[in-house]
Amino acid sequence: MKAMHHRQSIWLPVIFLLAAATALILMPAAAGARNIKVGIIDCYSGPAAVYGNDALNGFKLALKDINRKGVLGKKIEFTTRDTKFKVDLALSMARELVMREDVDVLVGTINSGAAMAVSESIAKRQKVPFIVWISKSERITGEKGHRYVFSTGENTAMAGKAGGLALSHKPYKRYWIAGDDYEYGHAIANAAWRNLSTARPSVVKIGESWWKPGEPDLIPYITSILTADPDAVIFCTGGRSMTNIMKAIKATGMAEKMPIWIHTATDHAVLKPLGAEAPEGVMGTMDYHFYYPDISANRNFVNKFMKEYGNPPGFPAFHGYITAYYIAEAFRKAGEVDKERFIDALEGLKINSPAGPIEMRACDHQVILPMYLGETEYSPEHKVVISSDIVTLRGSEVMPSCSDIIEARGQ
Amino acid sequence: MEWSETYTAAALGSHLLVGLSRAMILFIVTSGLSFVLGVLRVPNVAHGSLYMIGAFAAFSIVNVLGGGAPAFWAALLLAPLIVAAVSLVAERALFCHLYEREHLMLLLFTFALMLILGDLVKMVWGADYRSIMAPEFLRGSVPVFGSPFPKYNLFLLVVGPVVAVGLWLFSSRTRIGKIARAAAVDREMVGAVGINVSWVFAFAFVLGCFLAGLGGALVAPTVSVTLGMDHDIIIEAFLIVTIGGLGNMWGAMVGSLIFGVTQSFGVLFWPQFAIVFPYVAVVIVLTLRPKGLLKSVW
Amino acid sequence: MRQAIINKNSLLVSAGILIVLACLPLVLPKFYVYVLALIFVTALLAMSLNMVVGHGGMYQFHHGVFYGIGAYTLALMLTKTSLPAWLGFAAAPVCSALAGVLIGLFCVRLTKLYFGMLQISLGSLVWAIAFRWYALTGGDDGIHGVPIPDGIASLIPSYYFILFLLAASLAVMYLILKSPFGNTLRAVRDNPERCEAVGINVRFHQLVAIAIATFFAGLAGTLFVVVEGSVFPDLLFWVLSLEVFIMCLLGGWFTFAGPVLGAAIIVALRTFAGVYTEYWTLILGVILILLIFFLPEGVMGFLEEKFKARTQTTSER
Repeated sequence: MKAMHHRQSIWLPVIFLLAAATALILMPAAAGARNIKVGIIDCYSGPAAVYGNDALNGFKLALKDINRKGVLGKKIEFTTRDTKFKVDLALSMARELVMREDVDVLVGTINSGAAMAVSESIAKRQKVPFIVWISKSERITGEKGHRYVFSTGENTAMAGKAGGLALSHKPYKRYWIAGDDYEYGHAIANAAWRNLSTARPSVVKIGESWWKPGEPDLIPYITSILTADPDAVIFCTGGRSMTNIMKAIKATGMAEKMPIWIHTATDHAVLKPLGAEAPEGVMGTMDYHFYYPDISANRNFVNKFMKEYGNPPGFPAFHGYITAYYIAEAFRKAGEVDKERFIDALEGLKINSPAGPIEMRACDHQVILPMYLGETEYSPEHKVVISSDIVTLRGSEVMPSCSDIIEARGQ
Repeated sequence: MEWSETYTAAALGSHLLVGLSRAMILFIVTSGLSFVLGVLRVPNVAHGSLYMIGAFAAFSIVNVLGGGAPAFWAALLLAPLIVAAVSLVAERALFCHLYEREHLMLLLFTFALMLILGDLVKMVWGADYRSIMAPEFLRGSVPVFGSPFPKYNLFLLVVGPVVAVGLWLFSSRTRIGKIARAAAVDREMVGAVGINVSWVFAFAFVLGCFLAGLGGALVAPTVSVTLGMDHDIIIEAFLIVTIGGLGNMWGAMVGSLIFGVTQSFGVLFWPQFAIVFPYVAVVIVLTLRPKGLLKSVW
Repeated sequence: MRQAIINKNSLLVSAGILIVLACLPLVLPKFYVYVLALIFVTALLAMSLNMVVGHGGMYQFHHGVFYGIGAYTLALMLTKTSLPAWLGFAAAPVCSALAGVLIGLFCVRLTKLYFGMLQISLGSLVWAIAFRWYALTGGDDGIHGVPIPDGIASLIPSYYFILFLLAASLAVMYLILKSPFGNTLRAVRDNPERCEAVGINVRFHQLVAIAIATFFAGLAGTLFVVVEGSVFPDLLFWVLSLEVFIMCLLGGWFTFAGPVLGAAIIVALRTFAGVYTEYWTLILGVILILLIFFLPEGVMGFLEEKFKARTQTTSER
């Protein structure tokens, strides 16, 4: 009797588990005439989640309009996976989307390591188009680019060139470079310095400092830069380090002592939480502002976005929005749901965006976006610090040429 | 550039102060961790999560009360209390049933707690970056040794020693503090003289977590309050209590000072290697003193 | 007599499991084959860790470093040199074991949490090298699209390759742990002072155990490259090491096969729970707490106990 009881108590859960597993495996993936499926791998946890959520909101907003009309008589549906900023999770989740969900297009991610891993190990090998929408490494569509990977965001080469060219018109001579000690920081620094020193050979770099990404206390770094007293400073930080550096600049009054350029210093996601604590007079570059360019397409997009989510779109939302339109337009142009024809259609495709007409460059699969250079200044209208005196650098000015790309890829 | 030009006495002095102020935050967080390690013998991996909750709670309190100095002081007081309440619930509902278990099982429990608290913070506060402002009189900077030194960091330089002295008075002068210290050395003995050890442990755990929350609330005005703060601090905190001597509060102070000051001077002398300073410090200390710098209860 | 029967039984059970696993790719959809391969790789890593944690009693907190060293060694040899691939598969575990002994030399002088923290520091230095040395390791971006040898490049052959190596490694580890060395190791774990007193060289035994464990961790690293074709610094970061440690505790660290089960549970959970919710770490946390409360000996320990109880009552009857 006792033995019977024991037997039951082990086998019941085991049988239950086996049954559950079988049900899971045999669950039909999708049958019959199906919609167009987009698989999104991105980071929805941790400090990067703010960007992942924003991009997803922009994407969802665009799909609402797109699906009203439909694409090739179908709807576009999507499913998301949270990679938690981990490369191994991004890989296994992307594989799950491709092998189990059978998605037509992969989209993601903010982590450039993950973007490159998925691009090389999954998109290229399994021949699935992969659109990178936030991650800014220039290598994704540069030296590591290939037929199956696209980018709908700006990258470090564009940002660095924009900053470098802007600074080359200024009289400063002695520069200090500092930033997050990872690929993004160094890539921006290299691109900026390369362009700056080419355009203005008299500049000298008097020192560099690099901190670990996310370093909470940046005061010692700023103190040592102030001690060295350069003519101007280039900070190469991203994500949450942006808030930390802006706070440290404000606390030490650094912006009043020397000119500073930081890519994304004018990012609303950074400036808004800081409120009145955001330093003024910092030069920054961005590829999108909800208040600039002040054209009807942008106003419409911003109004719709505000109505839906209660806050204005950031640059990731803009990328998400144009990604959805690129996917829809490319399938319409391809005339059928086929991955190879989708890629052919997407190459060189021109669409209208909130920031005006944009083009997906055929040679490197990088979307051509302008860069907006501005300086942080308090805006009584928006009640936060925004970018002012904006100068637009056209995409053709800030992007590496197609011949540079071909050379980088070693073809 | 000449050495003497960059590394003047003034520059060294201001870097020392910057390092010390960072050490104060580290000390407040790690003294709590060390206390739990000493009394309960539990490596509390969730300590970083409680620090993060402290920062987020401070943000909410300042927001609800509409900013200004009173809101800031209220946040400094209430945020750690909220954290203490969370930890009390976790301790009484779950943790207290596990004290007889293997140490590594307790580690597993605190790891599970870290996973849960991390997601709960995301559910409650969302993923946006948050930021709170220090009150008016602590904003901006004052010149110290010729460099601008943030007033808030000066404030930290005052708070740190106050907390240290308070903790010392508490553990050497109050009855419950003495019992906790005795329980750290010999828990059977404390039980044998008729003291409810379970409540002593609960108290120690909650106090440790209160300090984590206080650290989070204090650091909030200087950084972006965001998810992932838990991961950022936890390894550093463990390394500090290890080199100081596990369970020794003054060890946490020494370890924090070493970390804060080496980081600050390291930035001045070898900025390109900043990422490895804490690890190198630990390797050197533990190679020379395998049980940490000060006497450990482990 | 009874010992022999149990051995024979467990041999039969192992052979049965192996045959089932070998047949699974014939019926399972591809994605599940991939998940199984990933579980095998992680299981080998967790098993190797348990050799030092469960049987050696050392707080090996940063085992992931040796996994990463193995993966990076293979990836670098396949991408940067034209040496034959098998040489990479041979060199990677050896490199891991060398690093393991080197780091172990510092750590075995310490005990418990001190051991663990020193290892985290030393391991983090290795991580910093992988994270920073852009020219060699690709920095934080890592190396992707590693050219895997043709024979094992596609999923099904790689599955069998990994299954074979896992089975062989488990057999070797089993023999080592059953050998006199294994007994001495457990004696050192339970009472190092007494062992020292009777003339056992404690540190030497600990170092040998570390060498063996890190060797297999390196092997697991090479198998990860076979499955994913990528290496990146996350592989050497403390978060992953902690996860593997948790797998050992969860599966049952005083049992032989517990870590395999722990690895299977965690990998499966994060793969499939992630499909339904972004809050899957919360679910993982809750499941862990339930397991701690209801299965204190780990999942495998629980099953073994049940199994023993049943055979006992059966024989009593």
